[in-house]
Amino acid sequence: MTTDIETAMVDAPKPMGGVPAPLARARWKRLRTGIAVLATQVLVLAALVALWEYATPKGSPAAFMFGSPSAIAGFLVQMAQDGSLWRDAAVTGMETLLGFFVGNLVGTLIGLSLWYSRFVSRVVQPFVIALGSIPIIALAPIVIIWFGTGLISKVAMSTLSVVIVALVTSYKGAIGVDSDQINLMRTLGASKFQIFRKLVVPASLTDIFAGLKLTVGFALIGAIVGEFMSSSEGLGHAIFKAGSLYIIPKVFAALVVTIVLALVLTWLVGKIERLLIPWRRQA
Amino acid sequence: MSVEAVNEARPGEAVNGAALPLVVEHVAKGYELDGRIVPVIADLSLTLRKGEIVSIVGPSGCGKTTLLNTLCGLLAPDTGRIRWHGRQVSGQPQNVGYMLQKDLLLPWRTALGNTMLGLEIRGVAAAEAEDRSRAMLDQLGLHGFADHYPSTLSGGMRQRVALARTLVNDPDVLLLDEPFAALDFQTKLLIENDMVDLVRKGGRSMLLITHDIEEAVSLADRVIVLTQRPTRVKATYPIEFGAGRADVISLRERPDFSQYVRRIWADLDIAIQ
Repeated sequence: MTTDIETAMVDAPKPMGGVPAPLARARWKRLRTGIAVLATQVLVLAALVALWEYATPKGSPAAFMFGSPSAIAGFLVQMAQDGSLWRDAAVTGMETLLGFFVGNLVGTLIGLSLWYSRFVSRVVQPFVIALGSIPIIALAPIVIIWFGTGLISKVAMSTLSVVIVALVTSYKGAIGVDSDQINLMRTLGASKFQIFRKLVVPASLTDIFAGLKLTVGFALIGAIVGEFMSSSEGLGHAIFKAGSLYIIPKVFAALVVTIVLALVLTWLVGKIERLLIPWRRQA
Repeated sequence: MSVEAVNEARPGEAVNGAALPLVVEHVAKGYELDGRIVPVIADLSLTLRKGEIVSIVGPSGCGKTTLLNTLCGLLAPDTGRIRWHGRQVSGQPQNVGYMLQKDLLLPWRTALGNTMLGLEIRGVAAAEAEDRSRAMLDQLGLHGFADHYPSTLSGGMRQRVALARTLVNDPDVLLLDEPFAALDFQTKLLIENDMVDLVRKGGRSMLLITHDIEEAVSLADRVIVLTQRPTRVKATYPIEFGAGRADVISLRERPDFSQYVRRIWADLDIAIQ
């Protein structure tokens, strides 16, 4: 027993400050590798941008066809100054978040509750597969007709692109729970609901969060597809309008904003995950 | 001291032993494969008396786990009766603790949270559940580790938490399926020692399923040897160490210990193919 405890003491996290030398060395080595990776990434990006800029001199046909980094930057500044960048990003961001939230909430609730009944889940299965195989873009015209051209239709598109994925990942998480663990709960006298709440739901969180990270992107795609069909604002609207007018650098500028929005949203989900799954942080 | 096997064929015992913690009478269990019934347990009878520790050993694949799952109500026997404290129960028997080789700790709960699980399920007030769980963890040498997550504990400590989770519910009977098989030898001996101590002090009964004959002999008052599948009871060995029983570690030094082990080993008919 003492050996056990001693081993665990060595493994236990040490307070800041008194870090032993080998540990500090390992930490420094990790940090150095991290910096090297980041520096290489920045270099690659800079090289690509420089090449792009060099190949598309101002006024050339190539600049018209492909835009140039400087022109894109110009449009970004202009969009930021006239406020359209922030407005469009906020609109699309709002649509995405709402669709992400509603889609994941509904999908996860259905997915988890399917754990309750093998019978119901078997009945539902072909319908889920059928719905999941519909390309969301094919639904856009109907969604616009049903929900109009405003915010709601974009949120609906975003929700639809999320809901099936959320349902499938949470259901997979729920039925993937170790049957020995369920047996243990039963021998401890747990009711089906207690097994669900104390075991199945928390055990599925890892899968649910994997689904969340995946569906951030899907929610954004849904919102932008909705904006493509019919809208008066949002990043999808900006991309569509600039594309129709052959202003290629402005299309790229709006794309850059979209990418940044996607990164911010993904980062946010990662933050929430670490907050909600503390036992993985301590591991 | 003579080391003799006793035949287990004592159907009459169940009648006068109505209040025994566990009586198993002629239980059979099989499973269906391609439309045919494959028998796993042919005919099994055994009893567990109050305060008694019984080990069940058998050759690999003799249906030990099927037996355990049948006993704790996770599987229903095809024929035969299982009576807990004289009563036949459907579903899970009350006051029975169950422990497997896998610790099955919930990774999102701390050692304390895991220990409290059973009390929480039964609706014991949170403060009381916490006090009892902390006390149990302390008794098992885990003082100061209550707030650790399982991922930060060693294998031996995790199994101690699993044991605390079982014992904190104050079970009359413990059913254990090779609970320490995955641990290293020293860790295993120390945990066994602590466990037997707590079981004997609490006047609990224990049924230990194992493939480790030395473990069986060192812990149990009786060792039941099973046959190959379809499983029957082959022999029962009362293990008589008298007062020397107190320490399961020094027990292993005794000459009669190895005598028991040799006899049971010979009885196991493990054929080298």
